[in-house]
Formats: sequence, structure tokens, C-alpha cells
Amino acid sequence: MKKTVIDIHNVSKVYNPDTIPVHAVNNVHLHFEQGEFTALVGPSGSGKTTLLNIIGGLDAPTQGSVIINGTDITHLSANALIRFRLHHIGFVFQSYNLVPVLTARENVEFIMLLQGVSKAGRERRVRELMAAVGLSDKMDVRPAQLSGGQQQRVAVARALASKPQFILADEPTANLDSHSAANLLDMMAQLNRDEGMTFIFSTHDARVIERAGRVITLVDGSIASDTARVETGV
Amino acid sequence: MRRPHTEFVNLNVFACLQIINSNHMLILIAWRNLWRHRTRSLVIIASVALGIWAGAFIVSLYYGMGNERVRIAIEQEVSHLQVHHPGFQDDHDVAFHFNRDSLAAVLRKVPGLRAFSQRLTAMGMLANAAGSNGVQINGIDPAAESDTRGLHGFVVAGAYFDAGRRHQILVGKKLADKMKLAPGAKVVLTFQDREQHITSGAFRIAGIYETANAPLDERNVYVRRDELGDLLGLPEQATEAAVLLHDDAQVPEAFAFLRSKLPELLVEDWQSVSPETALVMSSLDLSSFIIIGIILLALAFGIINTMLMAVLERTHEIGMLMAVGMTKGRLFGMVVLETAFLTLVGSPIGIALALLVNAWLSKTGIDLTAVAENVMKGFGYGAVIYPDLPEEKVWQILVIVCLTALLASVFPAWKALRMKPAEAIRR
Repeated sequence: MKKTVIDIHNVSKVYNPDTIPVHAVNNVHLHFEQGEFTALVGPSGSGKTTLLNIIGGLDAPTQGSVIINGTDITHLSANALIRFRLHHIGFVFQSYNLVPVLTARENVEFIMLLQGVSKAGRERRVRELMAAVGLSDKMDVRPAQLSGGQQQRVAVARALASKPQFILADEPTANLDSHSAANLLDMMAQLNRDEGMTFIFSTHDARVIERAGRVITLVDGSIASDTARVETGV
Repeated sequence: MRRPHTEFVNLNVFACLQIINSNHMLILIAWRNLWRHRTRSLVIIASVALGIWAGAFIVSLYYGMGNERVRIAIEQEVSHLQVHHPGFQDDHDVAFHFNRDSLAAVLRKVPGLRAFSQRLTAMGMLANAAGSNGVQINGIDPAAESDTRGLHGFVVAGAYFDAGRRHQILVGKKLADKMKLAPGAKVVLTFQDREQHITSGAFRIAGIYETANAPLDERNVYVRRDELGDLLGLPEQATEAAVLLHDDAQVPEAFAFLRSKLPELLVEDWQSVSPETALVMSSLDLSSFIIIGIILLALAFGIINTMLMAVLERTHEIGMLMAVGMTKGRLFGMVVLETAFLTLVGSPIGIALALLVNAWLSKTGIDLTAVAENVMKGFGYGAVIYPDLPEEKVWQILVIVCLTALLASVFPAWKALRMKPAEAIRR
């Protein structure tokens, strides 16, 4: 039996509760197991990103709890939450979000520096990750000199640098061409297969949905369907 | 065996190295962030440099003016030390006199003595056909007065006392202009003699003098001491002795010497004789730091504006940094570090500029003759100011500028801390 990594219990999120309430997420119950490759899908405004932000502790739910490995992150202080994210969660954003003044190598190493990893440990992991994302020859290049696909690969390497328990990816292929998107998905699928890394995507990209092992459809903030597939892209 | 304090130092060094190591990426990001908007950073660096230079320049100007005022007060007005009868301080009456010869014997032995002058002074009236003016009549030995105050050097019309002529008088330029006096003109001095009888003497103007202190020039006239002594009935007496030393630093020793040798007379240093000059010196720090404060206030707002702009335009990036694990303390540190770097780059430039300008101007002086000569003289200052920048003031200004910059960075850093990661990333 696989280990449950994330347990979402009765989570709701209401924006502007005192003026014009917007119910972004309604009474969501979910749990994710180790090694899942899940796509959160739904039309724009369905609450995908909000739910992803709540799972990642970037946003607080109006009600409910998010338990990650036994820790209810909705009760953590702001700094404790930041530290929790640093050690347990990897993020990949739609617009790459690399630190523009750091090289690809430094962007990946930065997370480990925040974790206090030794110099030797950092250097070894950076080499491994950059090789894994196929950018060993671009280590000392700044993000502005990389293509969108290459930047997103660096972002994935950065997300993996802290050895998180799962990676949250918000529309990771939205700004990529078909070729780059396919390459990125191949790479993430391989990491999922080889390292048992859990991936949760918010997406409406059919290419991602096709390869997901589980597809959760959100409509108006509620779960409309939750489908597990036998055949996955992994 | 190592001593405990050595171990303590080593431990601290190790701790510092660990902190630097764990935050070196933070330092790198902060440094590189500066150069994302090169022009903007250069403007702030220039502001810091100019702030330090302006602060240092103001201080050097104030100290230059203060030094000039003290130099004029000592060399042209009151000398380093003065000796009077104790009663003279309250009532400038000729009754409060002392014997010149016995005092001269003591004055010649003053440590560090450069020159001394014994004067006989009386309050009186100077009159001519055009009108009259209240004056202090100073009976002097022309040679001693030249040695002590360089009075002969201030004559701007006519001549200093001529040994072949009697009953000559020197009047100040301001008084001469007011009463339309010219060399060769005749004036009458009226005053009370030692018996309180009104007495008068006719004098002919030998010369008109002009010092850096116009108000003093207006109320002081000079005649020969012997001639005034005859009119007052005090031929061998004096009411004031002024002592000029080779060096300001010798004042305490000379003062103590005179106090011990002349217990019956009142010995005062220049700060007691001219308290307004001492006040100028003591208020230098306060007034210069008020102006520095105003300059730094402007600098602080410049830094706040720039750093706030830098933080707000990086909202998305700051949100991402918080999302991936940068704590609020590190985020705060990053913004403060950016400001610190701006200051660290600007400060040496400002200090170098301040020292260079001061080195140049302290030699050439700032000549205000064309624009403010009368104003400066009206306040007892020379028209040429030689800025003086004490070394400790440079460091004080540097510390104040750095503190101002760091304080100014707190608000932008606090704004960064207030951001919520999810909202910041959405922007």
C-alpha cells in the first residue's frame, strides 16, 4: 500500500468574504499518494491554481485542513510555513520564475543554500540535476539567455534540488512550444518513474492530461470528477 | 595551550564564516540586483557620495569660519590672555588701573610669550563739526600694539602713528564713513579723568584702520598711551594688558603662571574675555549637524523612494522567493543589503571627494569678498574662509550617512515582508 503524502480535508477558499464573496474552492476532500502523477484540470476560474496554492501553503484556506506527512500546514506560522515549503515542497510556475540575476547553476544551488546543504553536497546535486534536465552545458548561463523550455527545465531542477516529497506545477507547459512541452513532460515522467517523485499539475494542456495517471476535474471550485488511469504516461 | 580569549575569537570567526557561507548567495543576489537598473543605482550612489561630501563640506565650512573667528578674536581683538583690575570687569572706569612697570616685569616672564601690550582705556565721546559718537578710547604704545595685534597692518588710509607728531588718533573705517572723517581731520575726545572731571583733548587723524570686525572698528579709537595718561592724570598706569602667545596650546600654562604671580589682578583667557567667540565654537557641532540632518533627510527619502520602487517592481520575484523557501528574515536582509551596498559604494567616493575638496579649499580659501564682505565683517569674520575638516568629523558623517541609509531601507524591506506569496506571484 502506498503512503499518503497529502490529505486535504473539507477545504474551501472564499475571496472577499466581507464584500462580494467569490467561492474559489468548495469543500474539497482529496488525498494524494507517493508517486502519483496527477493533473488538476478544469476551465479558467475553476479553482485549479487556488487549490494548488493551498496545497503548497502559498495561500490559506478559509476552512478545512491540509495535512502533509502528518503536519497540518494550515496551522503553521508564516515563517514555519516557508521553512516547511523549503524542505517538503517543490514548485514549478507557469512563467518559470527563476531569479534573473543568478545563473542556472546558482538558481538550483540557491534552494540548497537556504537548506544549509554543504558545498560538496550542493555541487554534486547541481551536477546531477542539471544533467537530469539535460542542461549540463548551460550551467553558467543566466535565465535571459535560455529559451522558455530551458528555463522551465531549470525551474524543475530547482524544484527537485531540495529533495521535496512532491512537486506542484502550475500550468508548467502553458508558455512552451510543443517540442519543449513534450521534452519537459518526458523529463518529469522519467523523474516520477525513476525517483518515485509525486507530481501534481494544474493544467488544461491536453498533452499533460494525456500522460497523467490521475485526472481531477474541478468545476466552480468543486470536484466534478476524480479519475485514476491504469495506463499513464509514466 | 591556547588562551580562552583566543578560542572565543576563533569561535566567533568560525560563526561569522558560517553565516557568510550560508548567506553568500543572498549577498550575491543583493549585489547583482543593484546592477539590474544601473542608472538608478548610480543615481543613489551619487546621492550618497554627494550627501557625504555636502555634509563634510558644511562641517568644514563651519569649522573654517569658527577657526577664522577665533583667529581674528585672538590676533586682532583680545589676544590669548588679558589682565585687568578686578573691578574693571563690572565698570570700565579708569579708577581700576594698575602700575605698568611692575606688571611688565611679570609679563616678560610669561611662558610662550610672543608679545604684550598695556593699554589705558576710557569711555568717551568723539566729536567733530559733523556730530559726535560714543567711543572707547584706547591709549596704546604703537609699537607694542603692532606686535600684539598687528594694528599697523589694518591702516587703509593715512598712516600709522608718526613718531614726530603728537596728538594723533586712529579711527575705524566704519566710524570714519559715518562721521565723514579723513586723515588730517581734527576731532575732539571728551571723557572723565581720574578725578571724575570732564576733560577734552584735540587729536588729528593719522590714519583710518579696518579690521575684520566692523562693529568693533566703529567703537574703538586709538591714541598714544602717554598722551591719554596725561589727560587722565594716570601717566604711569594702565587698565588693560593683553598677552599674545606663540601657540594656542600654551594658554593654560601662561594663564596659571599669571594667576600665581598676580593674585590681586584679574587674569582671563580669550574665552572669558570674548564669550561670544567661545559660544561660536561650542555651537559649531550643533549647527553643522542640524544642516547635515536636513541633507540626510533628503537622502533618506531618495533611498526610500528608490528601494521601494525596486521592491514593488520585483513583487512577482519576491513572491517566488518566499514560495521556494526564503524566510522573511532573509528577505528583509536582502533588501537591507542592497541599500548597504549602495552606501558602501557611495561612501568611499563621498569621503574621497570631501577630503580632496577640503585639501584644495583649505589652501586656496573661499573668497567671499565680492558677494558678502560687509556681511562677514559685520559678524566679525574674514571675507576669506579656509574650510577645516577634522578627521573625526569625517568618520562621524560616514557613520551617520550609513545609519541613515540603513534606516531608510527598513520601510521598503518591511513592505517586502508584508507581501503574501500567492498574491505576489499572481502579479
